[in-house]
Amino acid sequence: MLALLHEGCSAGPHTAATGMRHGLRDRRSTPQQGELLCGFRIGVTCLPPLHRFAPLPLIFRQCTMTTHVHDAEMPPSRPDPSLDSGAERIAPPRVEAVGDAARDAAFEHEVLACLPDVTRYARALTRDDAAADDLVQDTFLLAYRGYHTFRTGEDVRRWLVTICRRAFLRDRMRSARVVTTDEGSDAELDTLAAVSGHAAAQRAGQDRLFERFDLGPAIEQAIASLPDAFRRAVVLVDVEGEGYEEAAAIEAVPVGTIRSRLFRGRRLLQDQLLEYARDAGYAAIRTPPATRAAAPTVISPRRAPRHATDAQMPAAGHTT
Amino acid sequence: MATPAAIDCETAVRRLWDFLDGELGAMSAAEVEAHLATCELCVPHFTFATGMLDAVAESRRLPGDLERLRDRVVASLQTHGFRAGRV
Repeated sequence: MLALLHEGCSAGPHTAATGMRHGLRDRRSTPQQGELLCGFRIGVTCLPPLHRFAPLPLIFRQCTMTTHVHDAEMPPSRPDPSLDSGAERIAPPRVEAVGDAARDAAFEHEVLACLPDVTRYARALTRDDAAADDLVQDTFLLAYRGYHTFRTGEDVRRWLVTICRRAFLRDRMRSARVVTTDEGSDAELDTLAAVSGHAAAQRAGQDRLFERFDLGPAIEQAIASLPDAFRRAVVLVDVEGEGYEEAAAIEAVPVGTIRSRLFRGRRLLQDQLLEYARDAGYAAIRTPPATRAAAPTVISPRRAPRHATDAQMPAAGHTT
Repeated sequence: MATPAAIDCETAVRRLWDFLDGELGAMSAAEVEAHLATCELCVPHFTFATGMLDAVAESRRLPGDLERLRDRVVASLQTHGFRAGRV
């Protein structure tokens, strides 16, 4: 029974999130207000067959009955290891832990306060506001259930982003069953390509666009158009301000991989923004060379340097 | 720390994003800084990249109607025993 459940879970076309959207909701709720009624992992396992033949209350009972068995005995190996690391955080609620007023007040103060960050991240992931709202709701429910595993002093925003990312990827993996792994082969080549792109923009007089124009909407659009893995890296590092190590931990990939994805994403982003500048006629804003060379510019890292030893630098082009 | 070694332009720009992200080792970063202090050609590349990354960071869109979403999340949690929140 358990083997069947697990197999169905990993191979099934439905995800917990979509399953819940399609049927696993409290009957009292509207689709927008529906509540998750079963454990995250088990949510989809019984959906396809039961959804067709069983009345809804039976689905709820069976899912509830199987959730704890499944969670307790879930084999450690999964198709994508990055989706499972730290999965103990997304644990079913402990009855004695739920409903404690002090705990809930702390949850509200500490965790719910991160709603804007999680929402922004969810929207960057899904590129769809309604889907993002579902993902945010799922994320906080999972966080609430696993709050007893949260360690005081840990970065709560990073914890939530990790939960959000896992929920999103599970949803994706189970619906598409294909994870795009189109990544660059050499992060430094992407850096060089970006510099070459900038040199061309200099020649065309488009190199001051970031100083003179509000490119917010164009940047949002460009980020949204990036392939998934690259977009997630750009959002984590450049939008959410995570370092390479932190982003790698959230993505559950090596630091070199997040660096490669980030650099490729940035290069694609720059290409799109320069193309946008060309289309918008920004070539007319060429700055006279004399003005450009007038004042010496001091360039500093945008973030406080880690000052790691050089040996700790990720290998260029390392991908998994 | 020893005096930074001289690096050429290609080496400097290869390190561009790592440098701006503060992810370089201390010596590598010092080499880039020393190069930029004397190279007029490379500075604009670093300035441009800084401008792009700043623009991306500033593009953080504050999601609209967060109150509605928060109420929805709290209502969801409350069906699972959550006692705080404003809903």
